[in-house]
Parts: sequence; C-alpha cells; structure tokens
Amino acid sequence: MTSRKEINISPTTRIEGYGKVTIWLDDSGNVSDAHFYATEIRGFDYFLRGMEADRLPFIISRICGVCSTAHVLASVKAIESIYNTQITETAKKLRKLLLMGQTISNHSLVYFFLTLPDFWFSPEEDPSRRNAFQIMREKPEVGKKAIALRSFGTHIMDVIGKREVHIVSVIPGGLINPLKEREREQLLNEAENACEIVKEALTSSKELFERNWQDFVRFGQRKTCYMALTREETLEMYDGRINVIDANGRKLADFADSEYMEHIEEKTSEWTYAKFAFLRSNGRSDGIVQVGPTAHMNINRKATTETANRELKEFKSKFGNPAHVTLLLDYARLIDLMYACEEAKELLEDKELTRTDTRVEVKSRGGKAVGVVEAPRGTLAHEYVLTSNGHLKYIRLIIPTQINNAAINLSVKDAATEFIRDGEVKPGFLNRIEMVI
Amino acid sequence: MKVSIVSLTCCAGCISSFLNAGDALLEILSQHFDIVYSPTFVDLKEVQSLDLAIVEGGVRTSEDERLIKEVRAKSRVLVALGLCATHGGITSLGNLVSAKKFLEKEHSLLASSKLPELKDLMYPLCSFVDVDYYIPGCPPMPLLIIHSLKSIVSGKAPVRHQSVVCTECHRKIVPAKLDHLYGIYEKESDPTLCLVSQGFVCLGSLTREGCGAPCPRAGFTCFGCRGPADSLLYRSRDMYAFLVKVISARTAIPEEKVKEELYRNPFIFHTFIFSGSDRFRARERII
Repeated sequence: MTSRKEINISPTTRIEGYGKVTIWLDDSGNVSDAHFYATEIRGFDYFLRGMEADRLPFIISRICGVCSTAHVLASVKAIESIYNTQITETAKKLRKLLLMGQTISNHSLVYFFLTLPDFWFSPEEDPSRRNAFQIMREKPEVGKKAIALRSFGTHIMDVIGKREVHIVSVIPGGLINPLKEREREQLLNEAENACEIVKEALTSSKELFERNWQDFVRFGQRKTCYMALTREETLEMYDGRINVIDANGRKLADFADSEYMEHIEEKTSEWTYAKFAFLRSNGRSDGIVQVGPTAHMNINRKATTETANRELKEFKSKFGNPAHVTLLLDYARLIDLMYACEEAKELLEDKELTRTDTRVEVKSRGGKAVGVVEAPRGTLAHEYVLTSNGHLKYIRLIIPTQINNAAINLSVKDAATEFIRDGEVKPGFLNRIEMVI
Repeated sequence: MKVSIVSLTCCAGCISSFLNAGDALLEILSQHFDIVYSPTFVDLKEVQSLDLAIVEGGVRTSEDERLIKEVRAKSRVLVALGLCATHGGITSLGNLVSAKKFLEKEHSLLASSKLPELKDLMYPLCSFVDVDYYIPGCPPMPLLIIHSLKSIVSGKAPVRHQSVVCTECHRKIVPAKLDHLYGIYEKESDPTLCLVSQGFVCLGSLTREGCGAPCPRAGFTCFGCRGPADSLLYRSRDMYAFLVKVISARTAIPEEKVKEELYRNPFIFHTFIFSGSDRFRARERII
C-alpha cells in the first residue's frame, strides 16, 4: 500500500474525537481506498474490571466528556437491570430530562461550533476564518443564541446532575436529590427561550439546505441499515425498544435492551483502534448500520411534541423514507434538538417532577445485562457482567461511533472519489472530506 | 493573543467545561483570544507560534508526545487543563495493567504502521515538558477555568487554591461512633453532617479546593478530582495514612480496620494515581 500515492489529513478538524484520514490513489491518480481512523485508545473496557458496580456510572462517564450523561444513564440502566430494580416514575422523568439536557448541550455544540461554519462560509474560504469564533465576531447575536441554548442543556445537567460535565446525582436506584420547585421554575423559564432559538435555527437552516441541496447530494449517500431506540415508532431516547430497518425501509428487527448483543456484533481491524459494530444477521459488509439523528428520522413516524412532530413528517416526505443523503444528518440533528427542547419543556411543566421519591433501595447481585439509551450520536449500549458480590467481571460497550464507523469510512471514500479525478485535487477538498465525517 | 486549544488522550470534558462558561466565555473569546490552532474548532492543521496553549488530556501515545513537545516549543505560556493533563487522570487506571497485554487481547489484528505507538503508561504533561500552570479537575469548573485564564491573559498570576475541599463544604464535622464504613450509596446520607462522620469514604480532606464542593454538597462523596492539596505535596506526607487517620478520628473505627476496608478497593483512589512522579514539583503553579 505504501508505494501508491497517499493523501493524509491529520488531524481531522471540527469533528468530535481525534482522528486521521488517509486516501490512497492508484497509478492514474484516482481514489483506490480511504480510511478514517482513530489514533487514540484508553482501554476502559479493560482496566475497569474488578471495580464495584456502584462506582461504575460516574467513572465510566469519563469515556466521553461531551456525552457523559448518556454514558451514566446507559450504565445505571444496565446495573438496575441486573439488580432487578424498578425506579420510581419521578426518577425516570428526571433522568429523561437529564438526557434531554445532554442532547441539547451536545447538539447545540455540534451545530453552532462544528457544522455551522461549513454552511456559513464556502468550503473554499480561508481556513483560518472558517470557524465558529469568526461567526461570533461577525455576528455576536448568533454567538449569544448559541451560548443561551447550550446553557439551557448544561443548566439541566448542573441542577439535576449536580455537575455540568460528569454528573454525580444519578445512581443505581434513582437519583440522590429531588428537584426543588424553585429550580423547576427557573429551568422552565429557560426552556421557552431555547425552543424559540431552535425554531429560528430550523427556519434558516432549511433555507440553506434548499439552496445548497444539489451540492449536498454530491457528497454522497450511503444506503445502509438504520437503527434507533423507539417507542412504537415514536421518537424516544431513554426507554423503548430498538428497531432496525434496511436500506429500503423494511423492518429487520425489533428487540429489547437485553437482546442487543444478539443482534449487534463488533470486530477489531488492523488499521484503527476503533472497533466496528454491525448487524450480526447480515454480516460485516451487508450489516452496516447507521445510528444518530438521521436514523431517528428513518425509524420513527412521529414525535410526541408539536413542532418536532411536524418537522419530522416534513423531513420524511421531502427526503424519502429512509433518507440516505449523508449531509442530511445536520438537518435531522436540528429536529432532534427541537424535540429535546420541547420535551424538556413538557417535562418541566409537570408539577409532579419535584416529588421527593427519587430513590429506591437496591440489592446488589450478580448477573448480566445491557443498558441502552439514545446518546447524541446514536444508540449507546453498555453490557456488564457482575459477580455475585457486585463487582465488574466483564464489560462491553458499543458506542454510536463504532456503529457509524463503517458508513463514515465509505462516505469518506465516496466524497474523495467525487473530488479527486486523475490526480487533480479540487479546491476545498480537505474541508469537504471532513464535512462527511 | 494567539491561543491554541490542544487535546491529547482524553474525553474532551475539560474543553466542554470551558465552553460551559456562558457569557464569560463570549467575553474572553471576543476580547482576548484569537484561536489559531484547535483541531476541534478551527481548520488550521499546523501549530503556529503561540502566546498561550491550553492543553487537555495526557500523553498515552507517541503522537501525544510529539504534539506536546511541538506545542511547548512554540508557546510562551502552557496551561495543563484537567486531571489527565495535570496528573494522568482516569486513563492512569490503565497503568495497573500491561498495555501490551491489553492490545494483544483486545486488538490482536492491529498491524498498521500509521497508528501511533502506545506508551507503557499514561503520563501527565509534566513528564515530557515544562508546564506553566496546572488547573486540575475532572473537569475543572467553568468559572475556575475562565478566571484563571483571564488572569493569565492579563499577565497576572492566577488565584491559587491551596486548601482542601472541606473548606468549601457546608457539612458539619462531628465525631461519630460507627463500627464499619459504608459503600457510596449503601445508605441515604444526612444532608447536614460530614460524609466521613457518616461512614462514607469521602476524599474531601485530601483534595484541593476550588471546585465549590459540588459533589459532597449533593450528597455524593468527593472522589478527589482536583488532586492533592498543597499540604499533601510534601515528599514526607503519606496521603493514604493521612486519610486513614481522618476517617478513624471522625468515625471512631480503629485505624487498622479502616485500612483493611480501604485496601479492599483500589478504585477509590483512581484520581490519585501518579505516573511520572512529578507530584512534588512546582507546587506554586497549581491553581
């Protein structure tokens, strides 16, 4: 492989996580292969073994600082499933609200800080200017809105989770602290404003999408299977069943948390530290699955909140069911964000939310279980095996990026093929490759 | 001021925390910072010459080592942000097992020359380069980060936090009479009394203040994410023996018994794993 011409992009910029891209060209200068790979490894699934389960949720959140709350929630769900613990309705509502906070803070970060610059500036723009900080300098009010929206998400995590990043209040059995009435009112105030900001962002992004649609299609589409948590085809992030559809929209599977590992398999590769996860029944090349916002749109038929429901239906009628164009992800993410804000508002309007029964006693015992939630980037699963005295014996985590890994790699190759012909690299190419990641 | 935000091996939680500073963030970004290198936010691929480098994450791979050395060489001031950068952090738990064994077991297919090599341990930045300021925390609180950076930007030394978390905790220390220690969630805690007095292993008495004690305030034991306080940074200070003494004094459980119960759980001290043994140096630079 080394004798052929290589194009390296390192480090990849404006994506979450750190990686590199290598594109190989054949003798005539056309793309022969492309890899996007993770250059980092920490070994969580190895060094946590032996730890007592109670300590797991808040330590395992360190896997990802931008989606830590989702990890905590998947973790306690798995542990509670092993302990056979039923948490109270109040605890469940508060956890849902936390997950909405997570979704809001993460999606708003990705939208305003990572992807908005791609649409705001042309890909040929001077790379030193093509970033969120430049947008904030040019239009401070956009920066203010971005911060206000993200703050709503982080305040939810701070008020209920007791820390903004790496929350501590969620424990096996529920939550340590109930929500105070004063806190509920304060968050509810912020919720109204957040909904308005997202509505505006949706309107302006829709215009952008319509204007650039032809260009976006050129970035490629990858017809794969899609997977998401759902409650009877209604958008759901905390508690539901996992559905998988094929590239034509046909339902392939419908299963509970506990059956997750029977359906999804993971394998390592020789060229990246990241593992690949795929649909077991279809094999590694036919079982490529995508998760995340686009998958939410493709799996679900409706949403429980008003605007999100309308937008979801519009999305489906406009872009097909399932929708495959890679860059639709950014559009779908805004609909996710809309849902998260509206759902958070509805949860906060519920006076029962401040009930004090947030915690039940747990009885530790051994066993094996999987906890699944929808993290901002897609379906997240934690599988634990605990010994009879409640210590971790085995752990397996399937994170959204692992599932999307295969599709990302194919998209990189597609986009590279589109922008490199006969050894000639079109301007703005680097940024375009990164846009599909 | 030319600034870079660099991430080595980490979870990106510290930069996340920095971005949570709200209006104070907008102010510092619009008035003081010109961010010229930050793979997460800015498209420039080359490290330029810098006034200030903010580095999160520790050194786990050969690539981390190369990058931190390059950043150091080009920066006037280098700030280690977060526990991974200052002490090694959570990834240091991997130091307890062999990296080679781990790779053999989990990634037996790995054969790419393009991947950076894994180092034997997770190292804090100071094992490889000189660090001007350390802001420990997992992650440090947004305002702590912003206040420290603002001081640095204006050429002043940031306010240091030297004492322990207990000074920021509202809970009342009372001598209790217990016969054993409790697991972190084994019973519901009294909201007004010191968690150690109630038999929980709270590390507040070892840990540097500056966070505002959010965890013990919420009824959750401090797990030491700000690293050791000044008083524990002397070579002669045995942190472990100190904690045993504190717990024993507040619970009336004999020291021997406390030791025995603590020994059973190496994970209690995960934030206090030091690789590179630089913990005694440069006390006055820890914020």
